Formats: sequence, C-alpha cells, structure tokens
Amino acid sequence: MEAKVLSILAELNSDVDFSAETNLIDDDILDSFDIITLVGELNDTFEIEIGPQHLLPENFNTVAAIINLIKKLQAGG
Amino acid sequence: MSLTSPLFFLFLVFTLLIYFTLPRRYQWFVLLAASYLFYATGGIKLTFCLLLTTITTFFAGLLLTRLEKKNHKKLVLALVLLFNFGLLAFLKYYNFAAAGLNIFLANAGYTLPTFSLLLPLGISFYTFQSAGYLIDLYRGKYRAETNLAKFALFVSFFPQVIQGPISRFDQLAPQLTAPHDLDYDRLKYGIQLMLWGYFKKIIIADRAVVVVNKVIDNFAAYPGSLIAIAVFFYCLQIYCDFSGGIDIVRGAAQMLGINLRENFRRPYFATSLADFWRRWHLSLGDWMRDYLFFPLSLSKPFYKLGKKTRKLFKGKLGKIIPTSLASFIVFFTIGIWHGANLKYIAFGIYNGLIISFSIVIEPYWNRLLQKLGINPEGRFWLVVQVLNTNLLVFCGRYFTRAASLGAALQMLKKTFFSFQPNAVSVQALLNLGLTKTDYLIVLLGSLVILGVGFAQEKGKAIRKTLEQKNWAVQWSLLMAMLLVLVFFGIYRQGFIASEFIYQQF
Repeated sequence: MEAKVLSILAELNSDVDFSAETNLIDDDILDSFDIITLVGELNDTFEIEIGPQHLLPENFNTVAAIINLIKKLQAGG
Repeated sequence: MSLTSPLFFLFLVFTLLIYFTLPRRYQWFVLLAASYLFYATGGIKLTFCLLLTTITTFFAGLLLTRLEKKNHKKLVLALVLLFNFGLLAFLKYYNFAAAGLNIFLANAGYTLPTFSLLLPLGISFYTFQSAGYLIDLYRGKYRAETNLAKFALFVSFFPQVIQGPISRFDQLAPQLTAPHDLDYDRLKYGIQLMLWGYFKKIIIADRAVVVVNKVIDNFAAYPGSLIAIAVFFYCLQIYCDFSGGIDIVRGAAQMLGINLRENFRRPYFATSLADFWRRWHLSLGDWMRDYLFFPLSLSKPFYKLGKKTRKLFKGKLGKIIPTSLASFIVFFTIGIWHGANLKYIAFGIYNGLIISFSIVIEPYWNRLLQKLGINPEGRFWLVVQVLNTNLLVFCGRYFTRAASLGAALQMLKKTFFSFQPNAVSVQALLNLGLTKTDYLIVLLGSLVILGVGFAQEKGKAIRKTLEQKNWAVQWSLLMAMLLVLVFFGIYRQGFIASEFIYQQF
C-alpha cells in the first residue's frame, strides 16, 4: 500500500521526498488543489470514499497518516 | 464603539481590571458581559440578530449531537444554515435585488418595496463562525457545547466580533472559558501588537484614505496617472486598515490571555495571485476551503465532471479542470460576500479567472521558462513574480474601491489609455489633500512595515529579538511608539478617525 501511495504522491510533485516529510500540510507542501487530486486518486485506487470531514491536516501530514486513513476507511470507519 | 476611540481604550482597561481581579471561575462571564455591552453600543436592535444566530445555532448543535440518522442531521444542518445565511443575505442583498427586479417589474406595474436595512456589525464574521461550528459538528469533529452562555461568548467575543479573524470552535472556545492569570509577558505582547495595529491604522491608513477619496470619488477630473496613484494609496489603505484592525483585535485578546489566529502573512510578498489569497484574510480563505471548496470538489457532480475531463484531456489539464471550476466558484462567492454590487462580482470573477487560468497554463509556462534558461527558483524570477502579483492585486483593487463596475472600468481605461505621466507634479500631489510631511510619514511608515515584513519573511522573530533587550529598552520602544501615535496620529487637526473598512462586510 505504501508504494502505491508514494507513487500517487510522486505524480503530484516529483521534487519532494514524501517518505521523509512529516508536515506535508502544515509546511504547505501539499496545497488544497493537490489534496483534491490526491483524494481523487486515493478514492479510485483503494475504492474508498474520503469526504470533506476527513480533510484534516492530521490525516495528510505524513505518508503513514494517509495510510492510516485509508485503512480506517477500508475497515468501514 | 470604534476600536480607535478613546472609549474603547477605557472599555478595555476596565474589562481587564475586572477580568483579573474577580475569582477566575467568573472570568468567562466577564468576557460575555463585556462582549454584549460592546456589541450593544452599536445598537440594541441589532443585538437581536446576533442573539438569533447564537440561539438557532446552539440548539441545532444540540440536536445534531442527539440525532442518529444521517438524513435527519443533514436536514437540521441545511435548515439552520439556510436560515442564518438567509438572514445575512436578506439584510445584505435585499435592496440590491429588489432594485434590480423593479426595473423588470415596472413594465408589469408592480414594485417591490425597499427598506432601510441596517447591517448588524460583523454579521458576516459571526455567521461564518457559527456555520463553521455547525458543519464541524455534522462532520463529527467534536461534541456540541451544552452551555448556551458559553456558546454565546464564542459567537460574540468582543474584540473579534466586528471584523474577525473567523475562529474555529475547538481552537477558541476552550481558551475563552479557561481561567487566566495576569501574565506580564502576554500583557506586554498584547500592548505591542495593539500599538503596531494603531500605527498601521492611524498613521498610514487614515492618511492614505484622504488621497483615495479625493481622487476616486471624482475620478473623471483626474488623469490616469493620478488615478493609479490613488489606487496605489488604496492598496496601502486597505492593508493597513484591515491588518491593523486585526492586530488591535489580536493584541486586546492576547492581553486577556486568549490567542486568536493570524489573519495576514505579509501578502505583498506573494509570488502568485493564489499565494496572495493564502496570505490575505487567512481565516476567510481557510473557511472557504474547508466548508465550500473541499465539499464542492469532492461532491458527486464534480467527481463525475473530473472523470469526463480526464478522458477528454490527458495529463494535468484533465485533472485540474474540476478543481479550477470549484476554485472559481469560491472566488465568485468571496466577491459576492463583499457586497451587493456588480463590481464585487467582477472582482470575484477577475481573481477566479486568473487563478484558474494560471493553474491550467502552469506546466506550459514552466517548460517555456526552461527553454529561456530562467531558473524558476532563482532570485530574479522571484522578484518578477512578486512584482507581477502586486500588479495583478493592484488592478483588482480598481473594482473594490470604485463606486460601481462602470466607474472601475472607466478608471482602468483612463489608467491604461490616458495615463498622462506629466500630470504628476509636487503641486498636483499636494492638491490631493495631504501635506509634504504627510506624504513623508506615509512613505516612512510604509518602509517600516515593509522592513519588518521582510525580516519576518526571512524568519526573524522581531518580538523575540526585542525580548533579549533589557526592560528599559523594551519600554522605551513602547513609549516611543506611543509618542509617534500621539504626534503623527489622527489627533492632529483636520483628521477624523475613519471606521474600519471590513466591519461593514
């Protein structure tokens, strides 16, 4: 799953080492346009439905947080 | 009660005295009483609207927490949002809409009545803040406040109620009701921030406004060059007025032990129009992002549109068309929010179009830069971008300040097609209502703001640096600032402290 998420992120911006970043949102590495593109890709790839209520900095600041969110939604939460 | 009036100063001192002398468990109650007293000085009748929003939102919040079914929750949310935004829209736009409709209805022999509607102070700000609370509850972000008085304080907190910053419940409410000890450092920081705000407002904005009003209210009599100078002064005025007002508000809150969020991040250093809007009126931008842009972009129609555009256009273009459309709608909304006037709609469209267009052309643009051998990260390109952004913002300001859309277009036309640079002379500038000393003060004041902004942009914490000086230096600086305000502020002959621009929104 991590590899897939990283490849989606790399498509957004190939200059960033996403696996090393811990503040993707708070440091403005991902802006709101990136978030929408990212969510679209994640929804399609993992067959989940990320809604506006999930778009909180803590869910997108790190790759681990993004994976956590995907797992939570896949488990039905 | 204007934030620049001596009455406000007395009110704040009095509130601070009671706040820090009463037992700490009553502190939040002092804030609530002060907030309603502050609001009521603007008109008892208008306080009714504030109460109405408070009460409807509070009970809807309780209901949202209790309801089980998603559809029921959705209905409650929709009804209460509709009611509160409806109230805002009615008070703000009814006369504009009625006047427009009457043109058509006249043929049929009907006329809609128009009313002299007074807009309650800060209605947009507290309506947005309350709506954010309710949407967050619907999304399950936190649980509803169960104490009506505590919730009323969240909606009406006195320094911020008139012009923001628009706060989030989970960040502000716990601070408002927590006990606070008198803290020397916070008091000092608060005073510093307030003085900085007054500096911007009464030294710069209240001077710049003289030139702005003189030229723009009678723009037909002036050549393009002087109109451009007046619009430049308007850029100065609106930044110093709004960000200065927010500094005063945040400083006052800080003295009470409450941290309000930042609303400005040196917008004049923005590298694109989108970046400008991430630095200007942050709390409104964040509100629009979380409660309009995100839900819109993730909605089913936009999702379907995205699928279609991705099929039609390969690469980035196909992906960003729906997002650009959502962003365009946000800017259109922000435009309308400013007021019931075509010029604001044009202002929204202007910003939305440029931002959407720049995103679409970005990949092509980068390729062009590469071919020209320009480093997009280099200093040269950075300066070009900052200047270009300021120019775009400057052109946009024609719309917000002109009396009407027609006037804005005529002013732009004059600026571009009959600039007449020779018309700018010392005498012509002196005829605009300011003296040489005034111009000098505005210039020096702006340089101070620019210098401080530049240092902050480089990551220097001005107040932390001050902190390391001994107390005598620190207080001397404060006193010097106070003296500057007294001598060069509004209390000179002929100047009247003008109302803050944004409190009318």
